[in-house]
Amino acid sequence: MGAMTRPLTLALLLLVCVPLAEAARLKGDEAASRLASRATFGMPYEAILDMADTGERRWLRQQFKTPMSSHDAIVDELVALQNAGLFDELLENNNNLDRVYRRLAWWHTTMTAEDQLRQRVAFALSEIFVVSDNLVVLQDYPYALSNYYDMLLTHAFGNYRDLLLAVTLHPTMGVYLSHLGNARSNPDANTFPDENYAREVMQLFSIGLFELNEDGTEKLDKDGQPIPTYDNTDIEEFAKIFTGLSFAGSNFQIRRNTVNFREPMQMYDAFHEPGKKTLLQGEVVPAGQSGLEDVEQAIDNLFNHPNVGPFFSKLLIQRLVMSNPSPAYVSRVAAAFNGEDTGVRGDMQAVIEAVLLDKEARAEPDKRGQAGKLREPLLRVVAALRQLKVFSPDGFYANTGLIIQENTQQHALSAPSVFNFYLPSHSPVGAIADAGLVAPEFQITNSSTIVTVSNMLEAALIGDVANDLFRAPFTAAEYDLSDFMPLAKKPKKLLKRIDLVMTYGTMSGKTRNHIRSTIGPIDDPDLRVRLALFLAYFSPDYAVEL
Amino acid sequence: MLNRRRFLTHSCSLGVAGATLSSSLLQLGLARSVSAQTEDYRALVCILLAGGNDSYNMLVPRDNDQYEAYRDYRSDLALPKNQLLPLDGSADGGRRYGLHPGMAGLQSLFNGGDAAMLCNVGTLLEPWTGEPDRVPLGLYSHADQIQQWQTSVADQRMAQGWGGRIADILQGPNPANGISMNISLSGSNVFQSGNDTAEYSISAQGNGAPGLNNYDNGTPEGDFRKAMVDGLLAVNQPHILRKEYRQRLQTAVDAQQLFSAALGATPELSTPFSPSYFSQSLRQIARVMSAREALGVSRQTFFVLVGGWDHHDEVLVNQANMLPQISDGLVEFRNAMLELGLHDQVTTFTTSDFGRTLTSNGRGSDHGWGGHHIVMGGAVRGGFYGQYPELDPASPLDTGRGRYAPTTSVDEYFAELALWLGVSPSDLDSVLPNIANFYSPGAASAPMGFLL
Repeated sequence: MGAMTRPLTLALLLLVCVPLAEAARLKGDEAASRLASRATFGMPYEAILDMADTGERRWLRQQFKTPMSSHDAIVDELVALQNAGLFDELLENNNNLDRVYRRLAWWHTTMTAEDQLRQRVAFALSEIFVVSDNLVVLQDYPYALSNYYDMLLTHAFGNYRDLLLAVTLHPTMGVYLSHLGNARSNPDANTFPDENYAREVMQLFSIGLFELNEDGTEKLDKDGQPIPTYDNTDIEEFAKIFTGLSFAGSNFQIRRNTVNFREPMQMYDAFHEPGKKTLLQGEVVPAGQSGLEDVEQAIDNLFNHPNVGPFFSKLLIQRLVMSNPSPAYVSRVAAAFNGEDTGVRGDMQAVIEAVLLDKEARAEPDKRGQAGKLREPLLRVVAALRQLKVFSPDGFYANTGLIIQENTQQHALSAPSVFNFYLPSHSPVGAIADAGLVAPEFQITNSSTIVTVSNMLEAALIGDVANDLFRAPFTAAEYDLSDFMPLAKKPKKLLKRIDLVMTYGTMSGKTRNHIRSTIGPIDDPDLRVRLALFLAYFSPDYAVEL
Repeated sequence: MLNRRRFLTHSCSLGVAGATLSSSLLQLGLARSVSAQTEDYRALVCILLAGGNDSYNMLVPRDNDQYEAYRDYRSDLALPKNQLLPLDGSADGGRRYGLHPGMAGLQSLFNGGDAAMLCNVGTLLEPWTGEPDRVPLGLYSHADQIQQWQTSVADQRMAQGWGGRIADILQGPNPANGISMNISLSGSNVFQSGNDTAEYSISAQGNGAPGLNNYDNGTPEGDFRKAMVDGLLAVNQPHILRKEYRQRLQTAVDAQQLFSAALGATPELSTPFSPSYFSQSLRQIARVMSAREALGVSRQTFFVLVGGWDHHDEVLVNQANMLPQISDGLVEFRNAMLELGLHDQVTTFTTSDFGRTLTSNGRGSDHGWGGHHIVMGGAVRGGFYGQYPELDPASPLDTGRGRYAPTTSVDEYFAELALWLGVSPSDLDSVLPNIANFYSPGAASAPMGFLL
């Protein structure tokens, strides 16, 4: 036996070593389905086949050219319909309808828009540059959040520098992080500039707390400690920069009739901190510039910090592809951010391509491995609705998402704080933490929500609930199960198709077998298909995308 | 044969079948608890005022000289002196203090000896000497400071909290019924995550733990659903993330039936609770305590997060709305503890990211460091603990803009609570790794002395 074991061990070692050279790339329909899972809100069967025909890179390029679908435009339409009296009956029972217009706009657009990649990237950005209707005043103005989302959509395929400036000057961010109406210091009154935005723009939106190598790992000092990127003096200096901003056309006065969420904030120099300021890495803002020149210089100062490439790249990888990218993967995306090939720093299209087409992202999934991520619970629900071709007979998909939010603890632009729904560093105790890995989405996946999410998927698929606003003039949306119904009596083929659309070939054989044997005794073809779909969406195989 | 209508119809019949099931589960639970020493029950309730409560407007100096120093610092944020609610007694040096005018309930708790005020507590590596390099990691940053208030380790990023480490010691990895001694009303949190244990998350609604629709509800459909779910959960998942998801789902399904049956069988509390999220969370906590025998526990921690305290603007208006909810909730919870006969066995305490700048930004205050906190319960020795700093811009404790360095560490604060809950002095340093920098675990005197 001893003599037999040794060659076997050697053979095993060789097997283990081979994949390290270069993991094979996932190809064909499965690759397209996986790209759909990452780069869209979910695609039905035929659309996945089309994407496979188009090819991944070409599909991305087509998406880059697809016109943007505006959320503000939908809110405009809803406001017009309200003014025309179409919602009068509805309003008798609900006088806060305008508070959900931006939600209706998000759902209709997410479900129906052609510019899926742009919408999906904007959603990822909304979890990095966080504002939230958790701050209730932002619910009072229907355009506050739809216009902010449009701003993210506008810059999603532009340049990160313009995005950071637009975020900084957006009145919704100004209200959320309180730099709107932030005035210069007043020594007589012993008041100082508000430090809120100054801190978060560095910590969360651009450079992070510690100096990074290009591969996203932390640099260490001679004592092995991480090196802070800024100190509190830097915060106080940046706080001076973000003074003097308020609603456009308001003359710095914040009153109900000066509220304006549809234009960038305006600089009112009389309220801007005068004098010299010092930025990061010793850069000086000279006295005598206009307030807006100060802001632009400060944004450039952050934009050109070497941390931004790896910091932002890793966040985007985590939102779109996997929780634990290798340093090499981060480094390749950071190089794209830094414009090492193109010469253009901060080109979002180059970054998005690098994130989605990286060899690590495209490698064949390993069902025994560690790559991948837990699907965001909201996205799990949205993908189910889109994959099952939910449609509204009247053409407008009316969903407020309030029920989904209650069950998933998640909704676009509704995070509990500027730290989003979960921290990028969240590491669940047990095997995941022991392996040194993070899994952010598990932070909102606990003994309560893991059950409510499952129940909601059941209510959707078995209970046939596809939207939550169906009183006139809105209508109940419907599922179109035509991709699956013809296979109702062919369980093997049914499961194969489900596996392609939802899990691109990563569903375990035992899960498939169990679903087949569960639906076996059921005669009603409709229930067979719905149960099979529900169990697939319910399974750990779907919950975690590889 | 099953069809969808029938499947759905039976979904609605949970009420009757559920009742039968509940009582049988409850009997199981009761049988188990006969051997449990429930007289020995103790619990900690941790309240996180997330965002950084401006506690210098919660506890305000009343002596003329210090009130003036306070007013000079705070300018437009200063509360009028005649509105402060006076607290009996005095702190070190005979100083007198008052509460925010919205906290009459807390005033009565304090003056009745059921609550103590802890002054100027915060995260520290070691007693503060003024060395700028010896400050906590990510000082003034929300995420880091909330984490350190929960880990009690200010020089590292750590996923395990001191409540979790207590559970590692007192409970071990596998509670008999799958329900952790650490129960959260606010989802996953660092405080209750240990090396071997995680929190059990419940909601303030209903019986706390939602169940899978019609799973195992005593009907043929319920049996079908049980087989369908159990079979799926029986599939081995070698991928590390899928394995974790499978385990969480399994634990949730297993524990839920026992938990909600136990809660459903508790007698209705006669103590009224306000409709606020905070009060309703405390009500649910009281109900869980009421079910302690059925759950077979003698030690518990509870966690509830109340958000929205990051008042860079409108601090006066916001605190006037929010502090009364805290004050009222505490009084309601104290009353419920009296009703349940648990007043001496439950200690409730506040935490927050940090205190805030004493100086104003014209509308609110910015991130600070040390702050003041509330401890409540029958075991609490009333009065003031720690040192309320003498307010003075020239104070060596003022690190700028009235950000006061803490004079008591969170480690000392939590050591007092951990020892009271039943952590032995010899285990204290595994719960609070840096405690030796502030307190000798074998010392004859208590770390702070606010608990009997």
